[in-house]
Amino acid sequence: MNKELEHNFIEELEKNQNIVHKVCRIYTNNQEAHNDLFQEITIQLWKAYPKFRGDSKFSTWMYRVGLNTAITLYRKRKRSIKTEEFDAFQYKISSEPYDDTEEEQLKLLYKAVHQLNDIEKALVFLYLEDKNYKEISETIGISEVNARVKMNRVKNKLRTILNP
Amino acid sequence: MDELELLKKDWKKDEDTKYPKLSYNEIYKMILKKSSSIVKWIFIISILEFALWTLISFAFKNTDYNKRFESYHAENIMIPFLILGYIILAYFFYKFYMNYRTISATDSAKILMENILKTRRTVKHYVGFNLIYMAVSAFVALGIQFDRDEDMISLVEKASANGEAFKFYAITIVLTLVFLAVFIAVILGFYYLIYGILLKRLNKNYKELKKLEV
Repeated sequence: MNKELEHNFIEELEKNQNIVHKVCRIYTNNQEAHNDLFQEITIQLWKAYPKFRGDSKFSTWMYRVGLNTAITLYRKRKRSIKTEEFDAFQYKISSEPYDDTEEEQLKLLYKAVHQLNDIEKALVFLYLEDKNYKEISETIGISEVNARVKMNRVKNKLRTILNP
Repeated sequence: MDELELLKKDWKKDEDTKYPKLSYNEIYKMILKKSSSIVKWIFIISILEFALWTLISFAFKNTDYNKRFESYHAENIMIPFLILGYIILAYFFYKFYMNYRTISATDSAKILMENILKTRRTVKHYVGFNLIYMAVSAFVALGIQFDRDEDMISLVEKASANGEAFKFYAITIVLTLVFLAVFIAVILGFYYLIYGILLKRLNKNYKELKKLEV
């Protein structure tokens, strides 16, 4: 029974692991931190899995647990985990060539996103993932109206960082 | 173009190839590892706090001071005091445990934060209760000593003979107060430190969410 649960969980996570990588991408800016957060989210997902009833999609549920771990539960480890498990990994801005100004802008944008606070990062992340305001508000626990207002403020903030 | 739209365009590009792919076995190894989440730390530290106060009360039981205290035959005051202390410990511990159990990573970010803060608040109240309990017991003990301790009574008589009874009482009470104040200040300082380290980020994020509601 337990083995079956474990097996189902690992299969689902293997299939949907990009969601976790993307949360890590928003909240960390180096490989070691990425791996560490990935590890903690995986543990939190596994701990919460027995209560996952399947009334929402596995991926939807992952967004919640992933963000909750990044925002609230995660504490940096003193001792880092081995990085060899994640070979040859780096964030790169898309392989397709952009024109220079666009690429420069993207670099600045990613940098600007990393300067946002934890809640603002969550909003940006969910927006980038095409979540609607209802889902955003439910994941974070604020009203839909407030989510919209805050998102507009974040957009303005990013604009100011880019065009000072 | 909207800045976020530009970002989204890049975000969605090459989604299947730009992130590392962990294998089944790598994920399996991960779920065997230990969590280092803040909730785990809160649990450990809270249990230590409950244990510490219980230990203090047990350690006190075997001191000479306590043995001497037994000779005053003040059980009718001290035993109810002790029982009250244990009932309140049980109450706080139960409340702490129930709050702790409601913490779930599947709740919304805000509810999760609230539940964690609620758990900590229970422990904070318990510490506050202990400090008050300690101050009250110190004065009850002092009162019993004035009334029943032979050394104390003879000191009071000596002081009264010199017409300094008031001065004697005042000095004893002030000294007790100063001692208590220093002790309480040290403990509170220690707590602010633990809280500062443990809950700094959580408090900051919770405030940010609260701010959105206004």
